[in-house]
Amino acid sequence: MANKNKLLESLSMSGFVKTVAERLRAVGKSSDAPVPDLLSYPENKLAQQLHPHVQFLIVEDIIDHSPDMKSYILAADLKRGGDKLAWFSAGQYLVLQIEMDGKTISRPYSIASSPCDTKDGYYQITVKRVEGGVASGYILDNWTIGTPVTASAPLGDFTYERLRDAKTVIGIAGGSGITPFRAFARAIAQGEEDFNLVLLYGSRTKKDAVFSDEIAALAETCNKIKIVNVLSASKAKDCEQGFITAKLIQKYAPKDEAYSVFLCGPQAMYRFVDKELATLSLRQKFVRHELFGEYFHPEQNDDYPQDGKAVYTLTVHMAGQTKTVSCPADTSLLRAMEAAGLNPPSDCRSGRCGWCHSQLLKGDVYVPESVDGRRMADKIYGYIHPCCTFPLSDCELDVPPMPKL
Amino acid sequence: MNQYDVIVVGAGNGGLVAAAMTAKAGYRTLLLEKHNIPGGCATSFVRGRFEFEPSLHELCSEATRDDQSSVTSIFRDLGVDVPLLYEDTLLRVICRGENGYDVTLKAGWEPFLDSMEAAVPGCRESVKTFLDLINPVDDAMGLMNDGIPNPVMLMKKHSDFIRIAGHSAEEVMDAVGIPQKAKDILNTYWGYLGVPTDELNGLHYLSLLTAYIKGHPSMPYHRSHEMSLALVKVLQDNGGTIYYNREVTRFLYDGQDAVCGVIAGGEAFWAKKVISNVIPNNVFNRSDNRHISKRSRKLANARQLGMTFITIYLGLDCTMEELGVKDYSVFVVNDPNPRKQYDDRLDFGMYIVNCLNKALPDATPEGTCTLFFTLPYYPGDLPEDLSPENYKKFKNDIAEKFIKDYEQLMGISIIPHIEEISIATPITFARYLSTPRGAVYGYSNGGWDNVVTRAAMEAMDYDTANLYFCGGHYIRGDGYPSGYMTGEMAAKAVIRALKEGK
Repeated sequence: MANKNKLLESLSMSGFVKTVAERLRAVGKSSDAPVPDLLSYPENKLAQQLHPHVQFLIVEDIIDHSPDMKSYILAADLKRGGDKLAWFSAGQYLVLQIEMDGKTISRPYSIASSPCDTKDGYYQITVKRVEGGVASGYILDNWTIGTPVTASAPLGDFTYERLRDAKTVIGIAGGSGITPFRAFARAIAQGEEDFNLVLLYGSRTKKDAVFSDEIAALAETCNKIKIVNVLSASKAKDCEQGFITAKLIQKYAPKDEAYSVFLCGPQAMYRFVDKELATLSLRQKFVRHELFGEYFHPEQNDDYPQDGKAVYTLTVHMAGQTKTVSCPADTSLLRAMEAAGLNPPSDCRSGRCGWCHSQLLKGDVYVPESVDGRRMADKIYGYIHPCCTFPLSDCELDVPPMPKL
Repeated sequence: MNQYDVIVVGAGNGGLVAAAMTAKAGYRTLLLEKHNIPGGCATSFVRGRFEFEPSLHELCSEATRDDQSSVTSIFRDLGVDVPLLYEDTLLRVICRGENGYDVTLKAGWEPFLDSMEAAVPGCRESVKTFLDLINPVDDAMGLMNDGIPNPVMLMKKHSDFIRIAGHSAEEVMDAVGIPQKAKDILNTYWGYLGVPTDELNGLHYLSLLTAYIKGHPSMPYHRSHEMSLALVKVLQDNGGTIYYNREVTRFLYDGQDAVCGVIAGGEAFWAKKVISNVIPNNVFNRSDNRHISKRSRKLANARQLGMTFITIYLGLDCTMEELGVKDYSVFVVNDPNPRKQYDDRLDFGMYIVNCLNKALPDATPEGTCTLFFTLPYYPGDLPEDLSPENYKKFKNDIAEKFIKDYEQLMGISIIPHIEEISIATPITFARYLSTPRGAVYGYSNGGWDNVVTRAAMEAMDYDTANLYFCGGHYIRGDGYPSGYMTGEMAAKAVIRALKEGK
């Protein structure tokens, strides 16, 4: 036998037997009680507190900003087993499950309150009526005090990261895009976040600038916050007039140090401001966008290969069930499935978070490049994010169902 | 409808291979996964223009150069074709302090010995003697694969194996006369197994070390997510099914305490055999304990939970050349002694920094690069007052502390280049893996629960009929290859039993 090395002879052969005996002994004297519950461990408990699978909430109060914009104060719904609200970082959003007409759809809403407000037992979200929007109109017309609301854990990475972002953030907000900045401002005022926020808030008129006075009042008490209203359709004292241009950003940005730019607003605002920002040649790390929002009109893109008028059939497999769904070419696969009442998973609806990740089994699709947040291997193996995928033929998909709780 | 030959619970590395193999063997297979993507740790995530590799440092036991290596043969047998890039350097270890050193080790038998000899003149022969011990080990292991042989025969014919298997890595190295400094350098990889080499089983460490040296370490071109999707494809191409967002909440037993199915998503699924990629603790927690043997419960209670991590993922807006990083894998230690490294782990005792761009030059967009910090953590290492409110500050403070340490050590500037940052902690792993305490490596391989006793006692330890296990918590310990290989072991055992009509 070649398997003999003289040098090893100093190592006894009994070690092997000893270690096995030791194992038997250790197991023998151990408890035969059922193993500890996962949530008895501090790590698992904290993970659950930070990222609950679901949060059962209830509308506790409603604040009218205008006929088309309201804030909802959401508290834990104790009757349905709601618990302490999950902590979050200012800038994050909740995905709300909205039951309407026997269907469930989900929509992300930025949290407008600050993390510290959860200690007082509430989240605030603000809903603005979107022309042609399904969810916003339903919420504004139907939610009353006492309406139960099922929400996700706080999600999203539109947050201030001190190792990444500059000490000063130029916030650029448009319309209901003000909501995460309200959270940032409150968090700064409360000492929960530590950076300088210079908020350029674009509205048509001063009257449309919801939260503007409130943030200005915070700025009175905290020198890290500054708000500038930028009005496109009127003039007002102490307000800038026009749009948020590169020149305006430079006017309010620190002169001799780097600054970050955070943007949240409608797609039209992103398109305009991004062009302006391009002239400032900021490093990419200093420009951060909140979710783009749902993608409409893919047929207007230069690389879109059809006329966008066809209607295709989707065959959708979901955990053993199969359904067929009609999907117009200019409608995302996600919206078509939702319209058919399938309740597929979705969180960000902007191609980024991956929660709607599904397998394309057959068919051709169009994914606008700007919102293609898939992993590289997804593209190789035929996986898609239905929230920003449009059919170019009849398609067959395998879609994970919403997890059952 | 819901009747299967095999149900696999959990689509981690082990579960994916197990399900792909039973499906390929013609058995009606269902793989149930609680997440909406496969892979467990073998996945990826996107932040901005970066796609991060979350867990894989380098794939070993995988090589074009050595046909025997097991991951290669598993992938080949299954028809998995994932492009891999190979690294010629195993690691660079920088040890601080008076007896410090800065050594780069090359992959491949001869280059490795050359780099050891250059670092510690005169050590070559003893290091070679040590590494060559893998041959008697392999011979004996081959024998063991067909069941545990007669101990007397083992002792007679495979005495080297028996001697190595019964001692720590350091004891074996001492026996073959490796000089202290060479031993220190050879010990560097202990962090991959989570147990310092004075306690780590000699056979376990020898297998790991030689697997890395022999088969150049490699990385999948499109992150680990690609390997996971490739394995799903094999499963599906062979008629198998994977259901996502279907967490198994209950294991079902028949009148003889044999597993006969599971409940997932409120629905019952039945099978002749169930393979669990999920750690036994979680299986027992989801079972009526009357069906779990007293010994199984005792074993689960006796075991120590294994290593977990804090990992820091950085997307930087400069190239690795501009950053001044030259190596793929750098181990930073504060003392030559692994026990001291382990004891000081919260204060730079040992951490690893990887730059994927060295292995895959276009891993990130032009003009950027990525760094991946790995800090070993153990149950109980997190501060006791950690709460939802101070968690983010805790993460950032740790990240800052280690990034700044690395900046200082290497004389480079990282923080100003951070374009994306993501920090995972045991809390993150507890969330994604649902393991007790966020354990990533299953149970600790230390002391009596080493791979040798695990293998020797396998039949006694896993005594629930029709229930099979695979994954880092199982007999081979942690690591991608162990996950894949134990998946193969479970699949083979199941196929054998089904063929025999058991």
